[in-house]
Amino acid sequence: MHFLYFDAGLGAMLIQAIVAAVAGIALFYKSIKFKIRSIFGLDKNASENEVFDDINIDDSKIENPSKDDN
Amino acid sequence: MTTNSRHASSYRDPSGHVYIENNLIKRIIFPSYFPQYEALKSSGFFEKAFQHKLLIPHEETERSATQICIQPEQIPFITYPYEWSFQQYKEAALLTLKLQKYALQNDFSLKDATAYNIAFHNGNAIFIDTLSLDFYQENTPWRAYKQFVTHFLGPLVLAKYHGAEFLKTMSNFIDGVPLKMIASLLPKTTKLNPFLYTNIHLLAKYENKHQEEDVKASKQASLSKKGLFNIIDNLYNYIKKLQLNEQSEWGNYYQKTNYSDNAFSLKSNIINEWIQSLHAKKVIDVGGNDGTFVRQITSDIELALVGDIDNNAVDQNHYAVKKDKETNMLPFVIDLLNPSAAIGFQNTERFSFVQRVQEFKPDVTLALALIHHLSLTGNVPFENSAAFFAAISEHLIIEFPKRNDSYATRLLNAKAEFKDQFGHYNLEDFERTYSEYFELIDKKEITDSERVLYLFKKKDVK
Repeated sequence: MHFLYFDAGLGAMLIQAIVAAVAGIALFYKSIKFKIRSIFGLDKNASENEVFDDINIDDSKIENPSKDDN
Repeated sequence: MTTNSRHASSYRDPSGHVYIENNLIKRIIFPSYFPQYEALKSSGFFEKAFQHKLLIPHEETERSATQICIQPEQIPFITYPYEWSFQQYKEAALLTLKLQKYALQNDFSLKDATAYNIAFHNGNAIFIDTLSLDFYQENTPWRAYKQFVTHFLGPLVLAKYHGAEFLKTMSNFIDGVPLKMIASLLPKTTKLNPFLYTNIHLLAKYENKHQEEDVKASKQASLSKKGLFNIIDNLYNYIKKLQLNEQSEWGNYYQKTNYSDNAFSLKSNIINEWIQSLHAKKVIDVGGNDGTFVRQITSDIELALVGDIDNNAVDQNHYAVKKDKETNMLPFVIDLLNPSAAIGFQNTERFSFVQRVQEFKPDVTLALALIHHLSLTGNVPFENSAAFFAAISEHLIIEFPKRNDSYATRLLNAKAEFKDQFGHYNLEDFERTYSEYFELIDKKEITDSERVLYLFKKKDVK
């Protein structure tokens, strides 16, 4: 059940298919670029001044796995 | 419990609301949200999100057929989006996307994405609006996408092109910057960037085109989960790399001083000694630059609020907090000559800066290399600045640069023909006026400089 307690915006809902398609191309290009760079050992992604990590969460990093999984 | 204690900012979401009981923030959940709450709890999602430091941890304190109460971990001081530096704003945006991706992987989704859902706590941005998590429905777009753009992406991109000062205007846009405005303020060249074109310009166009149509038509919009991940991953990559066009270099930020190393260490020793003698646990430094002097304090500080008017100094401070994983330092941007006002409906949704500091009850206020800016740049009379400091804490450590200090001299010279009217800016007048509000506990000249440090204790109100 959804509560439409604020206007999500019809245009904003419709456009996401286009945004996703363009994003898909960008991400594909990025992964190709990354592969080529790593083949030539040019990967400088691990900048030591970077304080923000990757978006992906690694569940194996949890120290005490959840006990509520019943 | 009564609804009278409902927090004034917590009325938008009908699933429940925040209330205050015995000075503790709690959250009441109504039956309409029970299915989501139970699923989030029994699937272990809450627990995992707490451990990954994505969501503020909470405990269930009460449960009946009509309501569930949870008590979240308490956050001692909330800073608002218009008090965040550029890098802090980025961190808040990235955390929102990270949580949304993680939620989607577990078949949940954020139903809203306002910047007010984020607070800085223990050195990290954390999501505080537990009830924003909802079930993910297969093939539906992200309903908070527009909100994310108007609250996060838009302001960040505008700050990139127009300077971090733009973030301060967020106090005027409590529901996010209007899309049309974001699009019109961006340089025309941003239309050539596929990311900015789709996420901002085209979005603004679509919103404009469809604004008159029936909301129910949104059921037609469909998008695969893979598509959602694409949007979120791409937003994350873009924002992570985003830098201000005016960005200054990292490091050595504190070098712009007019005193020697000797005076520096003397100054920090005196401050350190006084902080220890006061057994201060909660500190506010109102002109704290990049946090240099607070970091010199050797005693245990529970929490130091370190504000500065300069975004770059606060960014630098935030960087140090992240790099060294400091948990007791909270940097923020503040202009003391115009601190954040109370805003929102009835002026009660977001509290004023002064009110929040008063509630935080700092043991001591640090005002280092600040009074000449207040008095000479802002023309604030000593009487007014003394009243301000007396209103926020019991003790005050204040540094007074004499008239012949090079910085004070420069500010005085800038007054040109009005310089004579600032004759009151001198040590004697300062001491006399501040003594009306404070009792002088200690006073030390910083040798090798034209500055004097004072330790004051607030006088009891008659």
